[in-house]
Amino acid sequence: MLDAKIPAGQLNSKWEDYKGHCKLVNPANKRSLEIIIVGTGLAGASAAASLGELGYKVKAFCFQDSARRAHSIAAQGGINAAKNYQNDGDSVFRLFYDTVKGGDYRSRESNVHRLAEVSANIIDQCVAQGVPFAREYGGLLSNRSFGGTQVQRTFYAAGQTGQQLLLGAYSALERQVALGNVTLYTRHEMLDIVKIDGKARGIIARDLTTGKLERHFGHAVLLCSGGYGNVFYLSTNAMGSNVTAAWKATKKGAYFGNPCFTQTHPTCIPVSGDHQSKLTLMSESLRNDGRIWVPKKQNDTRKPSDIPEDERDYYLERRYPAFGNLVPRDVASRAAKERCGAGYGVGTSKQAVYLDFAANMERYGKIEAGKRGLHNPTPDQIRQLGKEVVVEKYGNLLDMLAKITGEDPYEVPLRIYPAVHYTMGGLWVDYELMTTVPGLYALGEANFSDHGANRLGASALMQGLADGYFVIPYTIGNYLADEIRTKAIPTDHPAFVEAEKQAQETLDRLMNIKGSKSVDHFHKRLGKIMWEKCGMARNEQGLKEAIEEIKALRAEFWKDVRIPGEANEINPELEKAGRVADFLELGELMCLDALNRRESCGGHFREESQTEEGEALRDDANFAYVAAWEYKGDSTYELHKEALVFEECKPTQRSYK
Amino acid sequence: MGLTLKVWRQKNTKAQGGFETYQVKDISSEMSFLEMFDVLNERLINEGKEPIAFDHDCREGICGMCSMHINGRAHGPWAGTTTCQLHMRAFKDGDTITVEPWRAEAFPVLKDLTVDRGAFDRIIESGGFISVNTGNAVDANAIPIPKDKADAAFAAAACIGCGACVAACKNSSAMLFVSAKVSQLAQLPQGEPERATRALNMVAQMDKEGFGSCTNTGACEAECPKEISLTNIARLNREFIRAGFTYEK
Amino acid sequence: MKWSQFFDTSIGKKILVGATGFFLCSFVLVHLAGNVQLLYNDGGKAFNSYAAFMGHNSLIQFIAWGLKIVILLHAIIALQLTFSNRKARPVKYAINPGNQTSSWFSRQMAVMGSILLIFIIIHLADFWWKFHFGNVPTINYDATGEPVKDLYSTVQYAFKEGWLVALYVIGMIGLSFHLVHGFKSAFQTFGLNHVKYNGLINFIGVWLFGILIPIGFAAIPVVIFFK
Repeated sequence: MLDAKIPAGQLNSKWEDYKGHCKLVNPANKRSLEIIIVGTGLAGASAAASLGELGYKVKAFCFQDSARRAHSIAAQGGINAAKNYQNDGDSVFRLFYDTVKGGDYRSRESNVHRLAEVSANIIDQCVAQGVPFAREYGGLLSNRSFGGTQVQRTFYAAGQTGQQLLLGAYSALERQVALGNVTLYTRHEMLDIVKIDGKARGIIARDLTTGKLERHFGHAVLLCSGGYGNVFYLSTNAMGSNVTAAWKATKKGAYFGNPCFTQTHPTCIPVSGDHQSKLTLMSESLRNDGRIWVPKKQNDTRKPSDIPEDERDYYLERRYPAFGNLVPRDVASRAAKERCGAGYGVGTSKQAVYLDFAANMERYGKIEAGKRGLHNPTPDQIRQLGKEVVVEKYGNLLDMLAKITGEDPYEVPLRIYPAVHYTMGGLWVDYELMTTVPGLYALGEANFSDHGANRLGASALMQGLADGYFVIPYTIGNYLADEIRTKAIPTDHPAFVEAEKQAQETLDRLMNIKGSKSVDHFHKRLGKIMWEKCGMARNEQGLKEAIEEIKALRAEFWKDVRIPGEANEINPELEKAGRVADFLELGELMCLDALNRRESCGGHFREESQTEEGEALRDDANFAYVAAWEYKGDSTYELHKEALVFEECKPTQRSYK
Repeated sequence: MGLTLKVWRQKNTKAQGGFETYQVKDISSEMSFLEMFDVLNERLINEGKEPIAFDHDCREGICGMCSMHINGRAHGPWAGTTTCQLHMRAFKDGDTITVEPWRAEAFPVLKDLTVDRGAFDRIIESGGFISVNTGNAVDANAIPIPKDKADAAFAAAACIGCGACVAACKNSSAMLFVSAKVSQLAQLPQGEPERATRALNMVAQMDKEGFGSCTNTGACEAECPKEISLTNIARLNREFIRAGFTYEK
Repeated sequence: MKWSQFFDTSIGKKILVGATGFFLCSFVLVHLAGNVQLLYNDGGKAFNSYAAFMGHNSLIQFIAWGLKIVILLHAIIALQLTFSNRKARPVKYAINPGNQTSSWFSRQMAVMGSILLIFIIIHLADFWWKFHFGNVPTINYDATGEPVKDLYSTVQYAFKEGWLVALYVIGMIGLSFHLVHGFKSAFQTFGLNHVKYNGLINFIGVWLFGILIPIGFAAIPVVIFFK
């Protein structure tokens, strides 16, 4: 059994007690302690800025050309915080409870509670940095509601909340760069962790411009490298999003937690053809104002506008009257898949459902007409006024949709379908966010900790920033306090030499295959296996097949991949090859984990385990644990379990009815 | 549809570059511009040639990494659109498309269509922030901000730092980029304490990086994928003049 | 930031260009108002008296010398900016957007400015130099008064030359195109961009400085030529 080092005491006083008793590092010592941070998204940038402010010597790495481009930037809808500004009954406990319940009782209570506690500080910090959140006319902050909750606790900046939060963290980071506390290494990719005497002591990174391998020492290493949704090839992740940092850590002894917990997001733009390189999300916030429906008739080919109201099936409202269109993501995704599978899908591919703004546009139009004193507005006026409201709320998203589909989203209902979006699984970490390798931490989406088997909307931004701004500055001190006597280790230490040699050998091996197929060819095939057999619904037979297929594909990859160009220059194919090589190993572990977990929970739906109504059926007696996998050599993993204890949220069948 | 592509190829910063011509066939109008490049690159790889290097990441128009100068236009012919969001509907069968990297002294070409935009980061370093350490903040609603101010600050903050403004400007001026950040922070009460130094330092750094000056042609605004307004440049000018005339140091 | 540093920044230089530009705009207004007297059929009395007054009033002479310095300053700084702007893009695009993203006027400021500068030099050599240092006949309109230089006749005579008239028309086209963009651009440089006033600024820039004034100036040689 794994020890998560959860502090003793009442749930709501654990974090206060921890902060009151953890070890501290004095300012003079901080200056000689070096910290490496991989990734500059919300978690990485906020950690780098905060640790730099404290006086640590920080080195931050990102593979993009600037720290500002990390994929947190693409988060649209918002960030949750238990501020209760709306006076609608929100509290730290409710946010905590909603998150644990939304995660289908597979997250760690103590971490989630801490997350809820610091959520309010995040909003304060971001506002102080100049993040322009949406406001009401009185000048105070505006909120909206998101899936899986019945309160309005989501703060937002149009449909670009992630961008604004990341730019806030990025500017704090750049400020530390200017002050000399943080050194930034852009266009650098981490290729291995360096361990000395069992502790993480540095990394090997490749300068993507020159192709040179570099050795970097750190008293501690923080992986803030995001999730691994790109294992599916098509996902809403950025093209460069990858698992390499987390996977190399796994191979150096960090356990990988709940790899099978992936989230499909219900409101994405459907796939249009084979050329598709990525999928685009339409914020969950659209579900605030849009109604999801399919025709009541199978294979109905009429235009949506020709289908009368009583021939439409608002299936979410029908199945889940209490939450309606705002059920959690996993529930909404599966419901869409069910309808399409049963032959009610729309669009040319029949793999889509409608998201319709018409009703709310009319409602908003009437409200606006009232505000403006129009007593007998014409339907056109109402439409126009309603459209203006919708444009203000979601304009940028709907413009994007129009560019992609070529349709006017204000005239015809949007077509949407679920797509891989987020990975709840990740490196196993304890309460202090440390992996099983001492000195190696994982923050944000890269760790497994807070979202259980399903993440609620607007919680990823909250977690990334909570980890970086408010958790790691305390918990890392508790470790580094014992490292103040460790002098910076010269990078000619044998462990560095060896790690660099191995990284170089892997690169050479890839370059020398000189096979016949492109990296994307293998990535697409892997994605297809994963989506079909380890996607929204999984079963034993499919998973077993998938494992064999992935093994075969991996072998083929290492024999037949073709990487043009040279290793000592910018070589995007070589970068991709390294990432896909890691996905080819991770994919197998995901299937293994999914096979092991013979229950349905959250985003993990095992067809063998469902209620009569087709809802996910948990098995708390046998699976109320975190599955943490230890790498034991090629295709061999040992399962370690962390039992999940629920003191405050007693697991029940999740009901959104 | 079938297209003729003329693409700038350059091995590295020091090497001499030049145009290569490629024919692409079976391009669907549903494809994004970068997916069309994916198709071409896949073919080049299969032919044993080196694929074209270009920057891209999120492919949903927000990370600011993609950066192609297409037929003389930064990010191509659609207004308010990044290269990754440009779709092939914008072109017709038989078109010739010329693709160049961003051209500016301050954005050296690294390879093919990839350029180094580190200058933007250094400009932000020089003052594009509010100096508030983690944990120092007051309650978020303790600072009421009029909605129109918050909205205007947001509109400026929407800048994705792609560099299209520099690419589009005949002077390679970075004024729109710099003004977006200065303007965002100048309109918020939180930005007030560092108002003067921010404007002075960011402009000084901008000049140092080798960008040209602004001659108010408006090409930046016309090409900005986030439609950042020229009013921000006016505000930067005001902020800079105010600081220059009143700041004591 | 010291003054020297402030005016050495790109915006600082543009402020100088804008400020001198505004001064020159006010000058062309005054200059045109005076020169319209060339079209009076009074044998040059009004114009020559005006010229004599302008030539002898020491405050105006001070401003007139200042004007020449301002023109030089405006031109030198603007050219300096132009050259550094050229340097900011060492490798040019193969394809340029043309008028799709910016107005033609806004891109030709340096060209039009250079045409204007050449025009101004010729113009000064032709009349100002002659008036002050050359041989201009004198005329006496008032038996008791001093004789004044007859610049009026010099001008009437000069504009019988077709090529000079053409040069003046070209110069004024340069002025027009320069000011269509220059006037409103200077407002933007000073940060004066406001939705409530932009229309007015644009209107004055185009109609008064871009059309009316250049036509007024150009009309003088043309009318004299055909008289």
